[in-house]
Amino acid sequence: MAETSEAQASASGQAGASGQAGSGSGSEDEKRDERMLECNICLDTARDAVVSMCGHLFCWPCLHQWLETRPSRQVCPVCKAAISRDKVIPLYGRGNTKQEDPRNKVPPRPAGQRTEPENNSGFPGFGFGDGFHMSFGIGAFPFGVFTSTFNFGDPRPSAAPRGTAQYEEEQFLSKIFLWVAILFVLWLIFA
Amino acid sequence: MAAMSPSERRLQKELMSLMKEPPPGVTVDGEQASQNLTLWTVHMEGVPGTLYEGEKFVLQFKFTNKYPFDSPEVTFIGSNIPVHPHVYSNGHICLSILTDDWSPALSVQSVCLSIVSMLSSCKEKKRPPDNSFYVKTCSKNPKKTKWWYHDDSV
Repeated sequence: MAETSEAQASASGQAGASGQAGSGSGSEDEKRDERMLECNICLDTARDAVVSMCGHLFCWPCLHQWLETRPSRQVCPVCKAAISRDKVIPLYGRGNTKQEDPRNKVPPRPAGQRTEPENNSGFPGFGFGDGFHMSFGIGAFPFGVFTSTFNFGDPRPSAAPRGTAQYEEEQFLSKIFLWVAILFVLWLIFA
Repeated sequence: MAAMSPSERRLQKELMSLMKEPPPGVTVDGEQASQNLTLWTVHMEGVPGTLYEGEKFVLQFKFTNKYPFDSPEVTFIGSNIPVHPHVYSNGHICLSILTDDWSPALSVQSVCLSIVSMLSSCKEKKRPPDNSFYVKTCSKNPKKTKWWYHDDSV
């Protein structure tokens, strides 16, 4: 262990030099990096690493065991912030997936959450294909016209993403309103 | 080394770091601990400038194979049990991190530091008010006691 401290001291001294050299592949640097990436529970280099919202690193099996130990009071072991299975982010290093088969891991590590970037191109709410909207308003005569026809100020919320439950509901609603409108028009013509 | 359980692996790492960089006034009996990783003896000296200056205490740590998910069983042993409002005369310690507030990120070192700090902040040497009753009725294992943590001042 005395070696480790010497190595650390020399590694910090050499940090600038190895940074200039580009590829600082010395074992000193590697040792220091490993210490930086230790799991807060088993004190080993974190395997199947996950990081909490509060920024603390754990092996997923270690953290899972802790969450199971006190299911009613799940707190971060380091800072006691609220923590849960859904509130940790897995860390995927390069080449990490090749070393082990993730299916062998029990319990499975929570998946990363991937959000699509905001699509800002194009004029929102103009195309009829994807975001077709229809709205009816009911109100006292002169004002009702305005409320249903013009939306001053607040922009229309964008359509729910395809495939979600909200999207299905919106499609269903817009079909119902379409049929109501058709029936209304037919009634106006024939009545 | 490969046959070590996760708790033994972690205890081995902790023992190494505690022997290398012990907190001031704290020494671990490394030989005994490496013989039996589940039973450690830690020697502690009263911090100079506090009520316990010059006194020597002995702490015993017992670990289960669920460590670090399960807290260690920590008691004062030997002839000199510190006289402190949170330490019973049988060596049991009323300290929340030893039961309810335990976390696997804590370690022998942090427990030692907490106990040193608890002793050092003491203003008046006295036993807990319910000492004689507790000592007669308690279980041998302090973790079986339903501790009531109400006094954060010491």
